[in-house]
Amino acid sequence: MSTLSAPIVRSASPDGTPLRRELVKVSAFFLRNWRMTHRNVFTVFEIVFWPIVNLLSVGLLITFLGAEPGTVVFVLVGTFALSTVQVCQLDVAYAALFDMWSKSIKHQLVAPIRPWHLVLGSWLMGLVRGTAVFALQAAMSHWVFGVNVLAHGPGPAAALVAGLLLSAAGVGLFVSTLLMLFGLRAEVSAWSGVSLILLLCGVYYPVSVLPAPLQTMAAGVPLTHFLEAFRAHLGYAPVFTAPLLRGYALAVVYAAGGYALFAWAIHRARRTGMLLRLSD
Amino acid sequence: MNHVTTTEPAVEVCDLSKTFRTGWPRRRAQPALQGVSFVVPRGAIFGVLGPNGAGKTTLLSILATLLLPDRGEARVLGLSVTREAHRVRERINLSSGSASFLWSLTPREILDIAARSYGLGGRIRRPRVAELLEQFELTAHATVPYNELSTGLKQRLALAKAFVNNPELLILDEPTVGLDPDISVRIREQIAALRRARRMTILLSTHYMREAEQLCDEVVFLRTGKILAGGDPATLKREVLLGDRVELAVEGDGWRGVAGLPGVLACTSDAGRVQVIVDDARKRLPEIFRHLDECGVPVSDVTVTEPTLESVFIELAR
Repeated sequence: MSTLSAPIVRSASPDGTPLRRELVKVSAFFLRNWRMTHRNVFTVFEIVFWPIVNLLSVGLLITFLGAEPGTVVFVLVGTFALSTVQVCQLDVAYAALFDMWSKSIKHQLVAPIRPWHLVLGSWLMGLVRGTAVFALQAAMSHWVFGVNVLAHGPGPAAALVAGLLLSAAGVGLFVSTLLMLFGLRAEVSAWSGVSLILLLCGVYYPVSVLPAPLQTMAAGVPLTHFLEAFRAHLGYAPVFTAPLLRGYALAVVYAAGGYALFAWAIHRARRTGMLLRLSD
Repeated sequence: MNHVTTTEPAVEVCDLSKTFRTGWPRRRAQPALQGVSFVVPRGAIFGVLGPNGAGKTTLLSILATLLLPDRGEARVLGLSVTREAHRVRERINLSSGSASFLWSLTPREILDIAARSYGLGGRIRRPRVAELLEQFELTAHATVPYNELSTGLKQRLALAKAFVNNPELLILDEPTVGLDPDISVRIREQIAALRRARRMTILLSTHYMREAEQLCDEVVFLRTGKILAGGDPATLKREVLLGDRVELAVEGDGWRGVAGLPGVLACTSDAGRVQVIVDDARKRLPEIFRHLDECGVPVSDVTVTEPTLESVFIELAR
């Protein structure tokens, strides 16, 4: 160290207004996910490869089965929805996963950040990736299968995408909570968590085909309502009333509940020593 | 080595205890800290010494707000590490020998993200990142992915990262563990230079006694979560009654009276060399020479060796 004789920058206090400082902290996690995303092959696969493979295989299957155009749209929208939620929630889960994989979590959490800086920054990156996946799949299905998700105007599609991204925050927070509680043993939940709701929320079929007890459970999943709201424009009557309102209300409740759980899990990790074990 | 500028404590630890509970369904209790108390003056380099599993990392992690104690109180820069943890985090930083960062990010990006985590806006952040890269000789490697850096460069990056917020208290957890000797020496020189330049308080854990002896104003010895002894290294050596070792090359048996002189802790002989352990060689050597002279014992060679922290540690660990 040749030039250590003088302090570097003397000011110890951050510049800017308190709000600006909070936004700068959020930007740390957005940028971190952004840089990791475009440098790692597996994240490219998440955005491009799997969603397209999924879309093409499902689309070709229903075409082979001779489904009517309305049914094709019905099923493909479910496929878009699942991929969008999956990719966006992964970014929220990456808030914890990247630090766990690199064993840097204690060096991250020694900084004066709140859980919401971590979650919001990562979720914003999830918005970018989730929207990109939806747009990519929509363009692909228009080109290959002649399905136009904007046929009923941009409003229904925008309401669907917004609902999906909000739902993803709740799923991602739940996964992050499991990671903080159980460490990398819960890693699998990042990829399988969404599959749990696949059966319930009517991704490939209307909720009305489910047995009554499962329909009741489906009513508790925001994705059910967002899909019903969009499919109502295709002529499929929703099982539940006011689907958009229910969907957003549930998604907000799950995101808030998920955040509370995640914050508690971080606190617990500081108490049990999990935070240190994850950095060893 | 005394650069302490004020007596106001940087760290106050009182009766701190922590027990880890592991296993399921039968929980095993593993005490890591048991009633630890000490005070670190501002501006000091304070060493936390002990073997592996002594509780050093547990102690430093509590002070860094990464771990909550079960009992006791710890205050850092006047703030409680449990009730005011967020404010503590704004004023401290941590670097460890086992530090690791995201594999695809470059040193510049790692420092940039770390600086953002402290809310540093672009006007302060950009020059600070550039200066840290420069000062820790990382500029040439600024765009190399982390997983392609050498161990020494990774260690320097970990140290650089600990300075992004210009901390008042720097916590270094085994900063030279696993490093080649030449790199360890450089890191130690850096730590000493950084303290001189910035007058910050440094809390250093290590099981290398030479490192502690070279850097620390005060130390505590931990074993199985308890403090065995503490103080400045010189006082510690006296407290443990190790004393200074004086070796004399003499002829005949006239030296035997030395054993009865004041301050002499032990006296043995082997093949014409007499080994005398005294509490303070500078104080006792003239009396020993006077006694030998009076007894007509010629002395052809004298060697004085001060005990090292290593020997204190071995003595305490018995």
